[in-house]
Amino acid sequence: MQEHIQLTPKEINQELLSGVLGTPKWWLGLVAFLLLVFLTGAGAFGYMLNKGVGVTGLNRPIMWGFFMTNFVFWIGISHAGIMISAILRLTQAEWRRPVTRAAEVLTVFSLTAALMAAPLVHVGRPWRAALWVFPYDFGRGVWPNIRSPFIWDPAAVMTYLTASTLFVFVALIPDMAVIRDRATGKWARQIYGYLCMGWRGTPRQWKLQTVAGILLSALVLPVFVSVHSIVSWDFAINIGVDGWHSTIFAPYFIIGAIHSGVSAVTMVMALMVWLWKWDKILRPDHFDAIGRLLIIVATTWFFFFIVEFFFAIYTKEAPELALRELQIFTRPYVFLFLIFIITAYFLPVPLWMFKKVRRNVKWMFWTTVSVNVGMWLERFLIFVPSLARKTPLEFNWGTYHPSIIEMLMVAATFAWVAMGMLLFSKVFPLIPIFDIKEGMIVRDEVKIGRAIVPASIRE
Amino acid sequence: MALRSVLGLFTDENVVADAMDSLRAAGYTSSEYELLTGVPYPEGTFGEEEPVHKLYRWPLVGAACGFIVGLVLTTGTQLAYPLVTGGKPILGIPPMAIIIYEGTMLGAIVFTVIGIIFESRLPRLFMGAYDPRITEGYIGVTVTAEEDRMGQAERVLREAGAEDITRGWETPR
Amino acid sequence: MASGNGAHGALALATPAQVNRDLLERHQRRTGDTYWRAMALFGALFVLGIIGFLMRLSDGFSDKAVWGYYAAVFAFILTTAQAAPLVAIAPRIAKGHWRRPISRAAELWSVVGLFNLLLFIPLLWVLPSLEDTRRTLWFFDAQDPNFSQVPIFSPHIWATLALVGLVVTGFMLLWVSALPDLAAVRDSASGWRQRWAARLAPNWQGTSQQWNFLYHRTGILGAFYFIMLIFVHFLISVDFAMALVPGWIDALFPITHAANSLQAGTATLLLTMFCLRQFGGYKDYIGLDQFWALGKLMFALSLLWFWFWFSSFIVLWYGKKPSEQAALQLMMVGPYLPAFMAAFVLNFLVPLFTMIWNPLRKSIWGPTLIATSILIGTLFDRIRIYVPAYSVPGIGNRFVEKHELSEVPKSILPDMADIFMIVGAIGGAIFIYLLASKVLPVINVWEQKEMLLYRVHKPFHRIEVLVLGKRD
Repeated sequence: MQEHIQLTPKEINQELLSGVLGTPKWWLGLVAFLLLVFLTGAGAFGYMLNKGVGVTGLNRPIMWGFFMTNFVFWIGISHAGIMISAILRLTQAEWRRPVTRAAEVLTVFSLTAALMAAPLVHVGRPWRAALWVFPYDFGRGVWPNIRSPFIWDPAAVMTYLTASTLFVFVALIPDMAVIRDRATGKWARQIYGYLCMGWRGTPRQWKLQTVAGILLSALVLPVFVSVHSIVSWDFAINIGVDGWHSTIFAPYFIIGAIHSGVSAVTMVMALMVWLWKWDKILRPDHFDAIGRLLIIVATTWFFFFIVEFFFAIYTKEAPELALRELQIFTRPYVFLFLIFIITAYFLPVPLWMFKKVRRNVKWMFWTTVSVNVGMWLERFLIFVPSLARKTPLEFNWGTYHPSIIEMLMVAATFAWVAMGMLLFSKVFPLIPIFDIKEGMIVRDEVKIGRAIVPASIRE
Repeated sequence: MALRSVLGLFTDENVVADAMDSLRAAGYTSSEYELLTGVPYPEGTFGEEEPVHKLYRWPLVGAACGFIVGLVLTTGTQLAYPLVTGGKPILGIPPMAIIIYEGTMLGAIVFTVIGIIFESRLPRLFMGAYDPRITEGYIGVTVTAEEDRMGQAERVLREAGAEDITRGWETPR
Repeated sequence: MASGNGAHGALALATPAQVNRDLLERHQRRTGDTYWRAMALFGALFVLGIIGFLMRLSDGFSDKAVWGYYAAVFAFILTTAQAAPLVAIAPRIAKGHWRRPISRAAELWSVVGLFNLLLFIPLLWVLPSLEDTRRTLWFFDAQDPNFSQVPIFSPHIWATLALVGLVVTGFMLLWVSALPDLAAVRDSASGWRQRWAARLAPNWQGTSQQWNFLYHRTGILGAFYFIMLIFVHFLISVDFAMALVPGWIDALFPITHAANSLQAGTATLLLTMFCLRQFGGYKDYIGLDQFWALGKLMFALSLLWFWFWFSSFIVLWYGKKPSEQAALQLMMVGPYLPAFMAAFVLNFLVPLFTMIWNPLRKSIWGPTLIATSILIGTLFDRIRIYVPAYSVPGIGNRFVEKHELSEVPKSILPDMADIFMIVGAIGGAIFIYLLASKVLPVINVWEQKEMLLYRVHKPFHRIEVLVLGKRD
């Protein structure tokens, strides 16, 4: 592609370390703002601890509201990193290079946000979560019940968090060596020197780095699949709530997670172009490639959505049909449903069909924001209407209005992830330096008559 | 005797390959000289030997450990507190399988990462002869040998076309 | 990485003209003994199958249980042969060069779709109408005025239409992607082949407009074949299996059925490649790259097999509703446990514990053996689904309760007719494939020639590297 810009290693260093070795003007202000939002949410959490969960809008029978929606949403976003990074590494797609790191880091921070949303906030008294999660004899002979999906869940999420953090770390080693060699302060040089453990760039080290990328991808992928499957089983193995007990939930959640996650990565890519001006590295064809991927992912997700819905009607059981009626045709859910289906599918996907849209950073940013608005609502619509009609013998017919306390805590998780990414970008490059340099080396062209076709060197 | 090292910096890949040939001809063994690059080049670009590693064993060992820990944990805790819930057997295989699976994968991944670091010969406590320009596109060739062979190594590197030469200590003085 | 032409050593065929000549010569060469022997063997099996079918036909259609194995083998061919073309379609859309030597071999399997369409016809008599008050995709309900107008033969009608659509799409895909090759045969061959080719590709001259048309149409037809395949699996798995079992509600099952077909289709193609290489004399074209790339894919799909199965299983196992327990009893842990275990071991455990080893994955024989294991496993898997489904008491009887399985029937073992039909259907599928391979060059000539444009070997300092171009 003519769009590719060949850069020297020195230029790549300067370009990609601009945020680490210097501080962009907007950085401090933005971080301060996000910190403020986060602290407000933390304050709301403190208030809730003091007053009890009554300050939320949760009300029998709807005890899973914004917090759980947010939990599943962030778990979903966390699937971006591994989807992009691992699958594209395994398939050796060249366009993965500038995207992998940001996607992996997004995974790590969104997982911590998910942990914040459910185990920390949702349970009301977070210290108690430790009693039923950790296999330690806190209660004199009482051990965790591994038959509960609420034990599978932490096991999977913690495994995924550990794995993706290590994944990020391993790929960071060569880049930390670059910072070590560029940093001006004595302390910075020391610290990065320790962190990269004396990396020098021998053929052996590079070989292991390459093998590690593929091997870890292959190992993290099955974990990634298990995480959201298990999250879905929090709901699906339950027979008490209509609309949840469906075998399709695990793949449906996974594909939904990939849909929202890849969209989130696209948002991050756009932000990297705008904030750090990395447009020499993130080219329109990167957006084009991810846009094409998004069409496939979104359509697969839509197929699963239809099948899920269809088999609810297939049962022909009255409670199931009544639930679908509530979810789709009854106010206020009908509005949410319409917004959800339009923003998650019918607005973005037809737009992505156009090459012009796919190659335009602004369009890609706003369409993927739209997807994530829709996907957040999707989770809300799975949980809340179902719980509202939890059981035929229910005599508490409360409704759910999210309180300001909940909203602040939800906003705090968004601020946390954004802030985390920004803080990370201040100490580590958000685009893998060595991967970009390698991309420049293996870049080649094939001449066919008068046409020049982009090519890459394969060993 | 203290080992010392010398580093020659190059910019042209072909020159580097020639320099390594000259070192070989001058009697340095492949364990004495090393190539340092800031980018992963395709294997064998400089005629260097293909590094042999045993990384693939690590995840298997890790997976085995994780599997055992998962198995012990799931059976142990349930037998220690045999409370029947939801009509499921105390040692129900499907839920146990989920926890054991996570344990297996966690073990495999943690061991792989340890393996990567170990097989990369990291952490390296003493940098020896090194130059920050390597991460900026220069290609380095270091020779690590006894002090009395340094002069010859330096000469070989300079004759091969090194643009700069630095010396360093491999072990503390 | 997979680079395209398996044998890097085939430098003798360095120009498009040489490739052209070589492949067309191979195509038109007098057929060898191996081919005739194979034709005789599979033809004999096919005849055996017809005998088996006639034996079964003599039992009539009133007892549905005896037709279980027949339905299973129909589903098996749908899952294997009819899915194999996807292996050409997906990498073509992803522009993977390694597919080029095997894309025709994959697409050629769509011819077998016609055979399976014939196999499907008796099932139209086997499947009861919707009047037996079962749950159905079509929501027929004689009591409900809104749904009493639904045709009672909806499953029959739609499945037939979908299957016909799939077969037609497959043929069109095969034809469009073979146009340049047919033109080459038209221009170089003699005899019946020339007449055939001239009729099928009368106008192909290779104008850039025609090439654009070709690229476009193969992409669209490929995508359409994929969608049709998923749709057919959806209809067959629900209407011809799931709906027959009262209380078996598994929203994932149609997708599992289709996902299994991706795995089995890959395995089918791997075996085909092995035969072409070993017995067909195409060693220079089909090499390690193809086996490696497909082996990895098959490995991933084997893991997916487990995931789909477990996703269904855990929900039903944990839910513990009596209707779900009965369905599990029927198809997994009850009378068909041995068949299920065979499928589980051959489709998942064997690939898992063998394919994790690099030396085995990166070999010719490794993926081939595992593909065999997967195909046998898939047959068992289809048997443990379709045979019990047709043996459920009260099929077609509206007075038998249809919301929960009241009693789990005993297992049905295949009788002589069933065994004849199973080997006959598989033999017949291979027989037709062998016939088709004589009509079209079994290696895609134009894709092979095109690759030479995008592939350059050149020195890179001290090594020789392969440079692969990718058209935008």
